[in-house]
Amino acid sequence: MNSRLRDFRRLGWFTLRRVLALFVTVLIGVYLTILIANMGGKVDELRKIQIRATVSESVRADPAFMEMSSEERNELIQKQVQLRIEQRNLDEPFIWRSFDYLAQAIQLDLGRAEEMHSDTGSRAVYDIIVERLPATLLLFGTANLLVFFVSVYAALYLSRRYGSRLDRAVIGLAPSSAAPAWFYGIFLILLFAFVVPVLPAGGMVDIPPPEDPWLYAWSVLEHLVLPVIAMFLSSIFISIYSWRTFFLIHSSEDYVEMARAKGLPSSLIQSRYILRPTLAPIITNFLLMLIGLWSGAIILEQVFNWPGLGTLLFQAIGYRDTPVIIGGVVIFAYLLAVTVFMLDFLYAILDPRVRIEGGDQ
Amino acid sequence: MRKPIVWVLLGLVVLALLMLLPRPSERSGSAQSAEEVGNIREAIDETGRRGALVDEVVFTQESDVGRIAGLIERGQQQVYAQGITNITAYHRLRDSSKGDYETSYGSNTELSLNPAEFKEGLNPFRNRRIREAMNWLVDRRHVAEEIYGGMAVPRYLPMNTAFPDYARLAETARALELKYGHNPEKARRIITEEMKAMGATRREGQWYHEGEAVTLRILIRTEDARKQVGDYISNIMADLGFTVRRQYRTAQEASRIWIAGDPSAGQWNIYTGSWVSTAINRDVSSNLSFYYTNRGRPDPLWQAYDPAETLDNIARRLERRDYTSMEERRELMAEGMELAMEESYRIWLVDQLSIIPHASNVALAADLAGGIAGSRLWPYTLRYKNRLGGSMTFAAPSMLTEPWNPVAGSNWLFDTMIMRALNDPPLLPDPYTGLYRPQSIEGAEVTVAEDTVTQRTLDWVELEKTDRIEVPAETWIGWNAEKSRFRTVAEAHPEGLTARSRTRIRYEDGYLDGEWHDGTEMSLADLVLPWILNFARANENSPFFDPAHVPRFQVFEQYFKGWRILQRDPLVIEAYSDQVFPDAETIVAQQAMSPLPWHMLALGMMGERAGDLAFSSHKADANRVPWLSLVSGPSLEHLERHLGRARDRGYLPYASVLADMTEGEDPAARRYEAIGEWYRERGHFWVGNGPFYLHSVHPVEKTVVLRRNKDFRDPADKWLDFSEPEIPEVTLDGPMMVTQGQSATFTVKVTFGGDPYPARAISNLEYLLFDTGGELQAQSKAEFVADGRWRIRLDAETVSELGDGANSLEVAVTSSRVALPAFASHAFATVPVGTRLMEVADE
Repeated sequence: MNSRLRDFRRLGWFTLRRVLALFVTVLIGVYLTILIANMGGKVDELRKIQIRATVSESVRADPAFMEMSSEERNELIQKQVQLRIEQRNLDEPFIWRSFDYLAQAIQLDLGRAEEMHSDTGSRAVYDIIVERLPATLLLFGTANLLVFFVSVYAALYLSRRYGSRLDRAVIGLAPSSAAPAWFYGIFLILLFAFVVPVLPAGGMVDIPPPEDPWLYAWSVLEHLVLPVIAMFLSSIFISIYSWRTFFLIHSSEDYVEMARAKGLPSSLIQSRYILRPTLAPIITNFLLMLIGLWSGAIILEQVFNWPGLGTLLFQAIGYRDTPVIIGGVVIFAYLLAVTVFMLDFLYAILDPRVRIEGGDQ
Repeated sequence: MRKPIVWVLLGLVVLALLMLLPRPSERSGSAQSAEEVGNIREAIDETGRRGALVDEVVFTQESDVGRIAGLIERGQQQVYAQGITNITAYHRLRDSSKGDYETSYGSNTELSLNPAEFKEGLNPFRNRRIREAMNWLVDRRHVAEEIYGGMAVPRYLPMNTAFPDYARLAETARALELKYGHNPEKARRIITEEMKAMGATRREGQWYHEGEAVTLRILIRTEDARKQVGDYISNIMADLGFTVRRQYRTAQEASRIWIAGDPSAGQWNIYTGSWVSTAINRDVSSNLSFYYTNRGRPDPLWQAYDPAETLDNIARRLERRDYTSMEERRELMAEGMELAMEESYRIWLVDQLSIIPHASNVALAADLAGGIAGSRLWPYTLRYKNRLGGSMTFAAPSMLTEPWNPVAGSNWLFDTMIMRALNDPPLLPDPYTGLYRPQSIEGAEVTVAEDTVTQRTLDWVELEKTDRIEVPAETWIGWNAEKSRFRTVAEAHPEGLTARSRTRIRYEDGYLDGEWHDGTEMSLADLVLPWILNFARANENSPFFDPAHVPRFQVFEQYFKGWRILQRDPLVIEAYSDQVFPDAETIVAQQAMSPLPWHMLALGMMGERAGDLAFSSHKADANRVPWLSLVSGPSLEHLERHLGRARDRGYLPYASVLADMTEGEDPAARRYEAIGEWYRERGHFWVGNGPFYLHSVHPVEKTVVLRRNKDFRDPADKWLDFSEPEIPEVTLDGPMMVTQGQSATFTVKVTFGGDPYPARAISNLEYLLFDTGGELQAQSKAEFVADGRWRIRLDAETVSELGDGANSLEVAVTSSRVALPAFASHAFATVPVGTRLMEVADE
């Protein structure tokens, strides 16, 4: 009883320390993002200049103001610039705003964007992000899951046929992953959208979008094919190669050799003696891949005109829209922290060798 | 041995087949175009088609310019709405049988020179003569043809070469262009003289001042061809002996230095600048003030401008319109341009050509400055060349950028472009001249104060002048928010009120019998409610008060002197204002009121009054509520809720005034029922009266679908003749050599698409005669012979004044159909008596 209580106390203490450490990490990460995204407050100056230039040109181009003298026009420009500066709180010192940003971010109050809108016109950062999430999850989820499972199974298969022609072919093709997915994307578009026009060149759905939901879904699938192939091609061979090497190392462990010597069937060796001990890194890889979906991929989305999160964050950086940038980063940071936290426990469950410090070894 | 013979035979067969293939029509483009227009018109007559010439337009987002040509050739897109300057795309479209393009001239490139005296070190550009010499130093033709690959035309003056003022000043412009033509030797001489005068010395090909090398910091923009322009200018300045530091910067990085920075800090000497116009500006007289005086902008660079007093006075007079006739204005402009070239705070390099790609079987009216996005006529002219109807896909680099509402919604270029198709304003600007033409008004009478310089060009408007314009006492000049009624001039100005202009606008018969897209009948309330709202949004006691609206409203109020309804059917309104423009057509356009469906506005007003929504971005941010969008997003559920309430209450805003202006029995119930049905069918609340209606909006997919409004008031061919700009094509022929003592005759041919240009459309055809030294010797009008043919006779006396040598005859042609003037030149030699002429020798 006492031993169980002690275990729980240790577990509680460990959990608290991990949560605190992760929270501080998130705090520092988010505040660094705020400072970097605002160039330590220098962005305020840039935005003020941008506001002044935009207002000056719009007033100058408006026929309604043509009759005004230069002095009157400059006065009008000054008033409008001041309004916009106040609207964006640029009249407050950056350091105070940075703490406001941090406090809101940590509470997951994503707030309102300063320059951007969601596609439907909402100013709420939550709407802006959530609106793009399904498209990102669909594309990157499909491609990454496909790459993950195909590469793990192919790697297992190849690890059993070390040195075969197929094995050598895959190893030979591994450097093809040096080219990013968007690079393959350009060629695929050229081939399958222009030379042999069987698939759409970009976008997420036909133009105009079909009104029937089934046709809509079919159209999305059609549009998904090329970007998924591009992502698949760019990472499948290197992924198989690395997993294959990983499995090969584990295949030569003494306990695996012993199992083989005992004449156990290869499927049993594979599942119990290779996969089971390597489950922790596989799951780590899988979970990190899943949270990696959050960031999307800027250039690939641009090439395929895909309305994903990557493009959104890229636009936010271009607009220097701090709340959107922070929104994207803080959610990623929390997801990462939660994943790391979960992995600590998963390791303990999956691998009997892992124990809380001070516990039974 | 047999194989080569087989190949030769095969080659011959292919050649024969090629020869037998039908040849493309040799008819001129214009004749083909006229035939196509004729066929379309016939089809419209037969079908009685109204509204747009195509059935559907689908807008989609495409940010990769490199793919546009391919998508157009593949038939996946028909039009790309943005002007592009990509040379590869231009060449591909030019050489493509399926692709074509329109051209716009709205952007330019210049070199901004920093004229400030530096706190440390020598700034050569504080010297006016060195700045002027830069004009001779740069080779604008090289910039246009080599750097911009032919997608630019040389520009010398502070006015766009495609704008009406350039055409009005064509002769002066030509003379100045010749004076400031590329002459590097002259530039080098002047710069050397002036550098020495400023105490600089030249050692081993380098300039030094007080022992330090004279350094030029050249701020080079990196996003476009200005990077090459910056490199070009850096190279020629280095060749002159300056130590050059190239600073490559993006827009934001550069703006900190050249706009916001202190010019005397010496952070830059030259900046590769660019300015954009999104529509034809018919009056650029304020350019001198903007570009050459410290009144241009309050930024530090402008405060360093200290122009010669004469230039400053001219700029100020032009800006204040302090002249008594168009001729005086022209003279002021001409003198101002000359002085601006001497001052040269800016070295104008090129007017950039943007191409607007479209499929070769598509025609539409693109604005000469703003392209398609700047054209108001695109919805009325967009068509397939060979057929009526059909669907078309437009791509734009961005769309649905901000929420759409007609009060203070998105004003992004491509959003505005789409919205223009949904509403039908009373007047539309001609995309080729910038002059307004009537769309739903019968005519207008403009009366201006005697001292005002205003001209009329088109015959739908009448212009007269008078000593004094009294504003009648019953005219509405404001809105009394507390009592919910109009304020009259009698109340606001019991002592009486005068104005500088009176505009009486006669709308078309049955204008208010027209229908909104949701099928409801228009009414006077649609015209009056937006006007009341304009006042309410500036009134602190109103629930619609918006501080962001106030500065703009104050300007409006400063000039607005009232309006009244003279007659309801047909509708005649009269507006009084202190705002006048050089063109009477523009005055009418500024005063003509555009209707908005009051029931659509009422829903937004209810949302704003309840604190759920806000018309403007500023108010939305201040109240932390959604910025009102009638087409998508979180606004829709609020609007739907308010629609229910409005229907239940029969809500009519400002009912005390508007009840008398609505249509039929129980208008509120019918209107709300109609817009409710509209929302159920289409999922948005945007109702207009344009040639297209908004069929559907797909925000995440970035797609907007417009469909033809079959009940539009006008037949589909109303604007058919405006499908392409009739830019005159000019050739000038004549003798290559002229003997002294003899006269000479030159022939000018003015055509469009191979057909003679109608004489009635030629506003002016003048020639300028320059002698060997480039001095202007004669200037006069050419003599009309027949449509498309003009003649220039130089009498013996004029020829003898030229002296012996090479001369140049320049012709400038301006048309009333297009703002862009056309030029042609012919070089000839004057030789002494007895010289054997080339033509004779040939015989």
